[in-house]
Amino acid sequence: MEAVSDTDVQFWMAKAMNWGEDLSCSALLDTSRHLCSLRSFLQQVLQGLQQMSSTSEAMKTFPFVGQFLGRLCWNPCVIADERSQRLLLRCLSCLYSAEPLNAVERKANMWIKDMLCHLISEEEGSVAHTTVKHAGVTPKRYHSEALQKVVSLMTEEVIKSCDGLPNTARCLNGNIHTMSTACVALVTCPEMSPLIGALLKHFMLCGSSCLNQEFIKEINEALISKRLVLEHEAVVNLWCYSPTCLEGAAVSFLESVLSGHETMTQSLDKHVNDSLLPRASAHHCHIFLTVNEIYRNVLTEIDENLAVRALIQVFTACFLQRLTGQKPQDRLPLRAFFPNVTPCLLTPLLTAPSEVPREAWLDHLSWIRSLLQSVTENEEAGEDGRAYQAVFEAWFLLVQCGYWVDTAAELLVLAAPENAKSLLWLLTFFHHPTNRGHQRSQQTAVAREAWTHLRMLFLTRPPPPRHLCAVKELLSSSFSANLVLHLFSNFTVFSHGPVSIITEITDKVLTEAAVKRRALWILALIRCRLNSAATRDDRVYSRLRTLQDTLLQT
Amino acid sequence: MEAVLRHLTNILELLAVSQTDHVSEWDRHTTLRAFQWAEYCEQLHSRFQCNPAVRSALESALSDTNQRLQQALPSCSPVMFSELAQCQHMLLIHLLTNPSAPNSVIPILFPDPKTAAQDSQFDQNSLITCKSAFNLLCRTSDRTSYAGLHVEAVVRGKLLGNLLNSVLSRTGNDEYARTLLDSILHDSAGKPESLYDVIAAALLSPDDETNSVVPHFILAWLQEQDGCLSKLCKSLSPGLCTVISRQSREFKQAYWGVLKQWASCLEFDVLEGLWVPTSDEPVTFIILTDRFKELLNSGPPLKEETETELKTLKREAGDFNVKGICIWTDVIIQLKL
Repeated sequence: MEAVSDTDVQFWMAKAMNWGEDLSCSALLDTSRHLCSLRSFLQQVLQGLQQMSSTSEAMKTFPFVGQFLGRLCWNPCVIADERSQRLLLRCLSCLYSAEPLNAVERKANMWIKDMLCHLISEEEGSVAHTTVKHAGVTPKRYHSEALQKVVSLMTEEVIKSCDGLPNTARCLNGNIHTMSTACVALVTCPEMSPLIGALLKHFMLCGSSCLNQEFIKEINEALISKRLVLEHEAVVNLWCYSPTCLEGAAVSFLESVLSGHETMTQSLDKHVNDSLLPRASAHHCHIFLTVNEIYRNVLTEIDENLAVRALIQVFTACFLQRLTGQKPQDRLPLRAFFPNVTPCLLTPLLTAPSEVPREAWLDHLSWIRSLLQSVTENEEAGEDGRAYQAVFEAWFLLVQCGYWVDTAAELLVLAAPENAKSLLWLLTFFHHPTNRGHQRSQQTAVAREAWTHLRMLFLTRPPPPRHLCAVKELLSSSFSANLVLHLFSNFTVFSHGPVSIITEITDKVLTEAAVKRRALWILALIRCRLNSAATRDDRVYSRLRTLQDTLLQT
Repeated sequence: MEAVLRHLTNILELLAVSQTDHVSEWDRHTTLRAFQWAEYCEQLHSRFQCNPAVRSALESALSDTNQRLQQALPSCSPVMFSELAQCQHMLLIHLLTNPSAPNSVIPILFPDPKTAAQDSQFDQNSLITCKSAFNLLCRTSDRTSYAGLHVEAVVRGKLLGNLLNSVLSRTGNDEYARTLLDSILHDSAGKPESLYDVIAAALLSPDDETNSVVPHFILAWLQEQDGCLSKLCKSLSPGLCTVISRQSREFKQAYWGVLKQWASCLEFDVLEGLWVPTSDEPVTFIILTDRFKELLNSGPPLKEETETELKTLKREAGDFNVKGICIWTDVIIQLKL
């Protein structure tokens, strides 16, 4: 079976001949556009060659291959692309015969040696050859330094071409586009990062900047597949320049959170900060709004969304931390970041628990509850969609500021019954925002029942079997499973009593793997909130660790 | 020291053999050993490059061995001390270009990129990438925005400047630095124009203008080479020469000296009413005046200094005001000073 089709061969031969060695602007543009598909074709050719038993057979089956590979080896743009280079060298390696049996194979060997020579050295007699020969360092080091120098010169050129004035007539646009085209093949080369950073920054300074689209695409793919590390500012500039890149980054980060369960739940806040999304969002309102929109849509679309909620909560918390770190004169009003929510909700919810003294938490939560309650009552009173929308927005803000819900759950562990009502309402609203079928009273009742059982379970020793069974039953019913799990996790971590009890109770109550996974997400949120608290309570941390270890045991 | 000199001799013999048909006897083991020796040799170079005492001992050993090998194997080329930095590369090139090299050797030197470790001794990927990236970027930066020089020349010039700076920073290395420049010039004998561009860039290179060691050295060397400075100035554009003159007083003086020398080659042809060249120097009156025009267009202080210089020359030659007697008078008239 033919590994490569004739049409493909014709197409690529024509391309290779067209590009030649001249590197005119248009040839460079065309080459950079085709690099990706060229790599696939080279992969096919390589696979075909690997199946050959000898070079003679290879030359008979693929008569074009000599000329084709030769032309590509003389094309600096193709050779500069690391992946294409490796493919070409592997093809050459396939065609080389360690023991040539005939003239064809001997000739092929000679040709390959010539090609290798050309790739690693300069044309004799040229100034390049002379300066490299007497440079006093290895050619590898010379070219690395030369590359660094040319990058630094070009970076200066980019920086100077637009000195921050809004006068776009001074900007040398044509050159920027050409430079970015040349960089398409070189995106993952480590020496290139200052130039890439400068080109991306250029867009921020010059309104009419025009970067090659392939360049942007290559950077984005390389960033996501971790083949490239850029300075933070450059990444943020990339996202400003290309909304597609931003969306790609947000989605790919979400995917990594959902699939990398164990590592993510252990240090979710660190991972979120490392993604650079909070930082970018704090500096650019539109980035925050875009990321928010994406995660919000995902939240409403998937059912099992505890993980997404956790991500939204931690993302918002990290974002708010960054925001408060900014200078007051640089800060936009919070309204700009949360345009759809009733303004009076912003202050109480966006103030983090770590910024409110512990003694005031109960009152603060009361405040939040009364605001939210009035929003829901409006909805029940009127029948129009606008009131419903207001409830959704308020609920989503609560999801974003989930640290307050977690605080409520923590307080419930030691709360007196008269204070529990308010806190339970909040928890119920969080897990069941809609009052479909007027279930809210039913849900509140379940919440209170769970709370009562959990109190008895964790306050009495040994844990009474009756309450154990009750909690277990509540967890297995899908009606309020998440709410009960939320309460359970907080009781485990924050109640007083021996640590040994944790394993005992957890093993009996949380038996299914799916439930354990969800519990780990809740733990992740507890940990993030504790991380940002003013003081560290070792007792709580050790209970948290114990619960985590118990859950991780299969 | 004895051992080191012996090793050096060994390496040179290896390099020589790799260029002859005796190399057909090499097997995998021999080849790997040869590269080990070559690597050792590179370390020698790096340690002693700037140490005049040890280096001269090594250089004389080299010279002896070169002579001996030339007699035994006339086809092999002599090796200079500066080339020892690239011993492995030289060996590799010899094996690639020598038709007698055994076929089994090449796959050892170019292992399959998929299986070979990134930093293996024989990994050429980063060299090829850097080299072609450099090539690519130089070619796409077609605007000559660096005082009229192409960016490739600027980079090579800076690197040359850095090399000379590090060599000259330790005492006793002047002769060695001169040898380096001599070799570069010798090897470019075919096409010196590109080299002149690189030298110009090296003259401009110290970004820190207070460090004039390298430009001073290069100028002194240029003036020692017969006619070299003149060829250099002719090859570089008037604009570029002006830029260098602005940056370096020494170059300015030397440049004026060249221009004066060119002027002395012109004679007034009474019949034609023109100044014409007398020797093989392809310098015409127009070229001369263009050079001065560029200097005068550069702005203070070079403009005023050049005016003063021209007027002084005119005065010293007799202060004629009529055309056709003194070239300086005519230049001044032509330039409407």
